[in-house]
Amino acid sequence: MGTLKTRERREFRFPPGYGDNRIVILARDPWWVFAYWEILNSKEEEVLRRIEASGDKCAKSILRVYDTTDINFNGHNAHSFFDVDLKGLANSWYINVGMPDKSWIVDIGVLSQKGDFYMLARSNVIKTPRFGMSDQFDAEWMMPEEEYWKMFGLSGGFGAGKGSLEARELIKKRLEEQVSSGGISSAASFYRKPGERKFRLVVNCELIVYGATEPDAKLTVQGREVKLRHDGTFSLRFALPDGKQTIPVDATSKDGVDHRRVTPIVTRKTD
Amino acid sequence: MPKGYLAIVLHAHLPFVRHPEFENFLEEAWLFEAITETYIPLVKVLDGLAKDRVDYKLTISLSPTLISMLMDGHLQSKYLKHLNKLIDLSGREIERTKWEPNFNKLAHMYHSAFKEARYIFADEYRSNLVNAFKRFQDLGGLEVITCCATHGYLPLMEVERNASVRAQVKVASDLYKKVFGHPPPGMWLPECGYNPGDEEILKKEGIRYFLVDTHGILFGTPRPRFGVFSPYLTRGGVAVYGRDTESSKAVWSAIEGYPGDYSYREFYRDIGFDLDYDYIRPYINPDGVRVNTGIKYYKITGTANHKEPYVPEVARNKAADQAGNFMFNREKQVEYLLGQMGDRKPVIVAPYDAELFGHWWYEGPQWIDFLIRKIRYDQKTIALTTPGEYIKLYKKYQVLTPAASSWGWKGYSEVWLEGSNDWIYRHLHKMVERMVEVATGNKGAKALLLRALNQMARELLLAQSSDWAFIMKTGSHVHYAAERFREHAEHFTELYEDLREKSLDEEYVIRVENK
Repeated sequence: MGTLKTRERREFRFPPGYGDNRIVILARDPWWVFAYWEILNSKEEEVLRRIEASGDKCAKSILRVYDTTDINFNGHNAHSFFDVDLKGLANSWYINVGMPDKSWIVDIGVLSQKGDFYMLARSNVIKTPRFGMSDQFDAEWMMPEEEYWKMFGLSGGFGAGKGSLEARELIKKRLEEQVSSGGISSAASFYRKPGERKFRLVVNCELIVYGATEPDAKLTVQGREVKLRHDGTFSLRFALPDGKQTIPVDATSKDGVDHRRVTPIVTRKTD
Repeated sequence: MPKGYLAIVLHAHLPFVRHPEFENFLEEAWLFEAITETYIPLVKVLDGLAKDRVDYKLTISLSPTLISMLMDGHLQSKYLKHLNKLIDLSGREIERTKWEPNFNKLAHMYHSAFKEARYIFADEYRSNLVNAFKRFQDLGGLEVITCCATHGYLPLMEVERNASVRAQVKVASDLYKKVFGHPPPGMWLPECGYNPGDEEILKKEGIRYFLVDTHGILFGTPRPRFGVFSPYLTRGGVAVYGRDTESSKAVWSAIEGYPGDYSYREFYRDIGFDLDYDYIRPYINPDGVRVNTGIKYYKITGTANHKEPYVPEVARNKAADQAGNFMFNREKQVEYLLGQMGDRKPVIVAPYDAELFGHWWYEGPQWIDFLIRKIRYDQKTIALTTPGEYIKLYKKYQVLTPAASSWGWKGYSEVWLEGSNDWIYRHLHKMVERMVEVATGNKGAKALLLRALNQMARELLLAQSSDWAFIMKTGSHVHYAAERFREHAEHFTELYEDLREKSLDEEYVIRVENK
């Protein structure tokens, strides 16, 4: 691999398109499918020409959503399909398919005034997640129906003895209450948020006791020795609660001969 | 003999955040906070159990990004600096709170906890906490499992699914083998995101089990005989466990969950926000933005804004009570289930985010400690197990394909696929296609070409982290997440274009390799 020429680098931006003509779909949940697409101008023009050539006119852009469950889809053999009208310059869409455990394929295309559909691109196939207990049984592990529902209720945390409809609703409710995991990066997901603070006032007092003595002297404040800075100065900071504080400051010279005491007395009272 | 089992699974993960170009970097604090508040306290708990020779079983999943960060020298030394500042700050707090005994006691508590953390981190484990987890695994109580390479959310890897999932799984499994010396026994699927068929890829990497959320099992096919109280085998033979709802709600629930107890420490009152700006300035973010320091003096108290000082002894007793309550409920659960399970003993699988314990729920590590000891000594109905251990109990399990699911809000993919983040998938999918294209087109690549390909794979994996989409949705640090996603896409795309035009630029390769 040669390194002779170096490509010029420009500021990176996500491209509006990759020069593809495609549509991709993803299952968001048992009831919703997300589609994104990129359509080439040339493809669109070609389709428009075909519409015109057949003496028709373009009516609107649509997504055609096919139920292709258990089918090898050939464009015409879906169980059913429905259309979604696209608005504006959308390049993605959330589609309410409303049915769990089904396979879906989505075409993007143009609907003509005569009602013919002209495809621009066809998606991958996806399956919406199953929602509800399976009706397939495993002969080796068979039990009476109510026993399955018992296990279902115990697993779902709402106890035994709930029927299928109620149990499904309870599971749905639980999933909606689910606290999303967020590690540490986000406090948004966790437990109580701080109480509502539309207006707040927080007042605290602190007291700074500072002064100076000889750099080699020994200094105590309220009986506790304090480390002096090189120039003999010191500074202490205290949270000051309500009440009276007596603060004896004692300095003793290095040879122990000189002694001074200063005792500030401070009272804080909060109304 | 116990009548049933409890498998506690902690999932530890943080996105890969490492910025040697900055002395301080806001998002690196995620790791530092997690080390001080969660990983070290857990190590302390496990250390105590080892010292007291308490038999226990616990499972922890360590994500490969977390392992890489814990083993990284640069981040290790940055963490020590961070911890030293906390030691300094808590020392000053001891002085400042001298006339307020309630707070003064807490300042002492933090000061000694931070000093102890430094001892555990720097002296006991030579700055590499992975050594700690390895040690507890070797001692036999802890089962360490892996997670996907960068915590990529598998259900949305629709384009080139096989290649995408395989890379996420294989990189994780390779790192695990390198670090722990044997293949990972199990895998935590990021966000429990399961897509039917992905188990085939796990199987190829020798992974023996994975976990899904409750409804993944309940809605599985065929109908599950044992609810979530037994593992199942997927068709290829990889086992799958489902999350138990009751034990999960006891901890997770925003309303009735243990962590909301009024005597527990209040997370949202931190001196980083509460104290005078000039005083706290040297200990917050260098750009002057107030951040959490980890020093918090109040208890939850109630729902009102008024908070009372935290009393550690009271909170500790509460953690002990709640551990007892949790154990009692599991005993009752097991006794009830026993009649429903034929000849089998039920297993209750209780997975939680590790960072919940200690970081969000300060008393969480104490709760785990109490729980483990109580289960060992105070009753005989249940015993602790791990998914890897339980599966050995029986020769036969029901075969089942779980339903697509996740443990995120609403149970599927909506957290990672909604208005704020759905735009990323067209780019991610394109990157995967391009990766497959250049990898197949350059088999047997050597030297610079190989380095460029490896770097592209690395950028792609990092772009796939579920964290970016998650953060975009939840709304804090959004800019950082978007910028990270963009940066990985940029590096990837530049390398791809260079490669395609046969003008690989070594300087550029080096530059992004060193990022």
